[in-house]
Amino acid sequence: MAGNQTVTNEAKHHKLEGPQKHIIVYILSLALTIIAFAAVAAGGLGDTFTYTILVIMAIIQAFSQMAFWMHMKDRGHLFPTIAIISGVVVAFLMVVLAIYWCWW
Amino acid sequence: MSAHQHAEGHLPHELEKATLEGRNKILGFWIFLGAEVVLFGTLFGSYIALRHQVLDGPPPEHLFQLPMVFLMTLILLTSSLFSVFAVQAMHRQKVKVLIGWLIGTVLLGLSFLGLEIYEFVHYVHEGHKVSASAFGTSFYTLVGFHGAHVAFGVLWISLLTFQLFYKKLDTIMAPKIYISMLYWHFIDVVWVFIFTVVYLMGKVG
Amino acid sequence: MTTHAIPASHAHAHAKAKRYTGIMDWLTTVDHKKIAILYLLAGLLFFVIGGIEAILIRIQLIKPLNNFLDAQTFNEMLTMHGTTMIFLAAMPFVFAFMNAVIPLQIGARDVAYPFLNALGFWTFFFGAVLLNISWFTGGAPDAGWTSYVPLASNTYSAGEGVDYYVMGLQISGIGSLLGGINFVATIINMRAPGMSFMRLPLFTWASFIACVLIVFAFPALTVGLVALMFDRLFMGNFFDVADGGNTILWEHIFWIFGHPEVYILILPAFGILSEILPVFARKRLFGYSSMVFALVLIAFLGFMVWAHHMFTTGLGPVANALFSIGTMLIAVPTGIKVFNWLFTLWGGSIKITAASLYAIAFIPTFVLGGVTGVMLASAPADYQYHDTYFVVGHFHYVIVGGIVLAVYGGLHFWWPKMFGRMLNETLGKITFWTFYIGFHLTFFVHHFLGLLGMPRRVYTFLPNQGFDLMNLISTIGAILMGVGTLILAINMLLSFRQPKGQLPNDPWGDGRSMEWALPSPPPEYNWKQIPLVRGSDAWWKEKMEGNTEMQPAEPLGPIHMPSPSILPFLMSVGFFVAGFGFIYHLNWLTIAGLLFVLLCMAIRSLKDDHGYHIYPEGVKE
Repeated sequence: MAGNQTVTNEAKHHKLEGPQKHIIVYILSLALTIIAFAAVAAGGLGDTFTYTILVIMAIIQAFSQMAFWMHMKDRGHLFPTIAIISGVVVAFLMVVLAIYWCWW
Repeated sequence: MSAHQHAEGHLPHELEKATLEGRNKILGFWIFLGAEVVLFGTLFGSYIALRHQVLDGPPPEHLFQLPMVFLMTLILLTSSLFSVFAVQAMHRQKVKVLIGWLIGTVLLGLSFLGLEIYEFVHYVHEGHKVSASAFGTSFYTLVGFHGAHVAFGVLWISLLTFQLFYKKLDTIMAPKIYISMLYWHFIDVVWVFIFTVVYLMGKVG
Repeated sequence: MTTHAIPASHAHAHAKAKRYTGIMDWLTTVDHKKIAILYLLAGLLFFVIGGIEAILIRIQLIKPLNNFLDAQTFNEMLTMHGTTMIFLAAMPFVFAFMNAVIPLQIGARDVAYPFLNALGFWTFFFGAVLLNISWFTGGAPDAGWTSYVPLASNTYSAGEGVDYYVMGLQISGIGSLLGGINFVATIINMRAPGMSFMRLPLFTWASFIACVLIVFAFPALTVGLVALMFDRLFMGNFFDVADGGNTILWEHIFWIFGHPEVYILILPAFGILSEILPVFARKRLFGYSSMVFALVLIAFLGFMVWAHHMFTTGLGPVANALFSIGTMLIAVPTGIKVFNWLFTLWGGSIKITAASLYAIAFIPTFVLGGVTGVMLASAPADYQYHDTYFVVGHFHYVIVGGIVLAVYGGLHFWWPKMFGRMLNETLGKITFWTFYIGFHLTFFVHHFLGLLGMPRRVYTFLPNQGFDLMNLISTIGAILMGVGTLILAINMLLSFRQPKGQLPNDPWGDGRSMEWALPSPPPEYNWKQIPLVRGSDAWWKEKMEGNTEMQPAEPLGPIHMPSPSILPFLMSVGFFVAGFGFIYHLNWLTIAGLLFVLLCMAIRSLKDDHGYHIYPEGVKE
């Protein structure tokens, strides 16, 4: 391994990541959760609008937890990302069929 | 991420990725999580299809108590944060701190389960049962599967924590801990959708 | 990118390795080559059982108003035939070849998770055994391999048959999922240096995509089976309309799994074709990139078309149109593959062997099945075809004319690599012709029977409707297929009279991929030194440059191997016992079985496996 490269790698690796980003994600998750609960507890916003808020809050929270807490945004996570997205696609199909194509 | 040699002979910081076996375990676990997304997706789909079939049973708007659900959410979210700190302690080779965060995760997980069991018992008294209606069956299957995942996680993390008392934190233990933490984060992500789709949307109607 | 195995154990090698012999060797093995043989044996066993079930069905249908089998037994026979052939014969054949071939083709010493590989086999096996025990305990499942509700619910299937279906498939399904995850990770992480994705042999590519399908399709089946189980065992109401359940939901869940499932089966068959044809045409595969692209497209579209099994349920014109078009679209990438195979053969120096006969015959046969598939894809036309013998003709053409032909060809092709012996060519050709002619006799007439209005899954029919002669021909064909298969079985047994280890690495002479660079069969550790891959058709490339072996990518050294373990076998027994507990409402048995499984998992976690080292010639201990 080239001498320079070793030094750079070591320097990068010695800089361990701190808890700051993760605590921010925690606070964000808390905020998103509170907004979602508040939207429902308050009532009177209209069903469609409330549902939209709920879904958006959930997606943002899920995404940030996966990207940061599970390190999906870090390098070396291409296949994990593909795996999760593929799963989401199939799960999405399930939800679509449940809403539109199940009748009595 | 390859194992690179430090001139001084220290272990690499991301122990879990230092060996091929470790990297294999992590990749394999992510693939498994992709499968779990489909599993829960199917459970969610079934729930969404059936949630209005309440028949004579108590409807969700009356059943679900938001304060308790909020508390459970807070507990699980915090336990997920604890597991982040656990991995960071692991990367800093601070075994005692790691054990502390793992125990914290397990305790919060147990609290979550305790509240959920209390909740289910209460619901059954109210007439909301597996056999009562399609809503009942799909509710308990979806939320119950999640609870079962939490319970399994609690057992798994406890077993790993126990091992840390007498095994070295090395390239064999590290991947195990790392993937158990991935699992724990995942079940918190699933819970985000459960409280949204089941409880909050249930309250809206 | 990829590296060879860095020993996970500490600096000291474990001199005392736990090695078993005889039966214990097979019960505890984590070696992919042995697991391949286990899958093959199990697949053959259940293939024969499924074949006998088919012949019994055909005997009942040899003439109108026959009373060879009563209606109940007939329903059990057709259910078990379908379930066995798809889950317990085709799937293990696929896993057998994947295990036997993929690590060799990518230059690895084993799969990513040898322990889970063994666990996958044993759970599959015990699930299969559980399902088949139902024959002896008062009734096999009888609601079809698709187990539609409400027929499969307690109301209309009160016995334990469907419970055996649920538990048997659930346990077997665990094995399939584990196998799928294993090969996806293996192909991503364990390729030898120089083996980029676009240099992978096509069997590996096809299997990779098929395993991706397994990972995302099987969990849907898991949930469906859990739902059916809850309805049947715990008074659940997923599918009980009176209590708010929905029967269409079952069909959706089942077919979102079920359609990808058939692509899981056919894609490796495509892969086998793409391996055999270039070798026996002495010409490289035409259109490699488009073949890979076609595989990906088929897989993706395969998830989008499930409701073509549900055209007549009342989804409505919009849904029917979407699924109709999606289904027809799959013919496009499939057609790309067919043309590429033809272009591979064109201008090649074609050698006719049993293996190449199967491969060449696959092409028109599968295309026949494919075009009837496009006919079925037309939603309005499907109203006529649905639930008739036309459908039965279609899927047998693609499954038997596709998968079975490919599997038989693959057996001939890879037999020397797996067992160090060759299958007899003369017997192989006799099998081919008997089986192939029998196949067409059996299934070609099904299309006309369907068009004439004969429904499927009927245990008898009235005379003088135009069905009689064709059913007779069909039964004769089935017996011919049985004869051909019997000859193949004899061929396989006779091959073991040859002494092992007499064959060269590359017995066909024209091997292109790296499994042909290794001895037949390879040593326990596969590669003395992980090979360096310098192009596609890596072994062919080395041969063309005058080399007699692959170039090494690492120095000679001790080889770290995973230890054998009895835990996979024991865990599967635990699942088996729990399955019984569920079926017969014996809670203590269920809990005991599941606790035992958990105990085995705990032992696996607590007791680290440091493996052992092998010191090939020239390496000091």
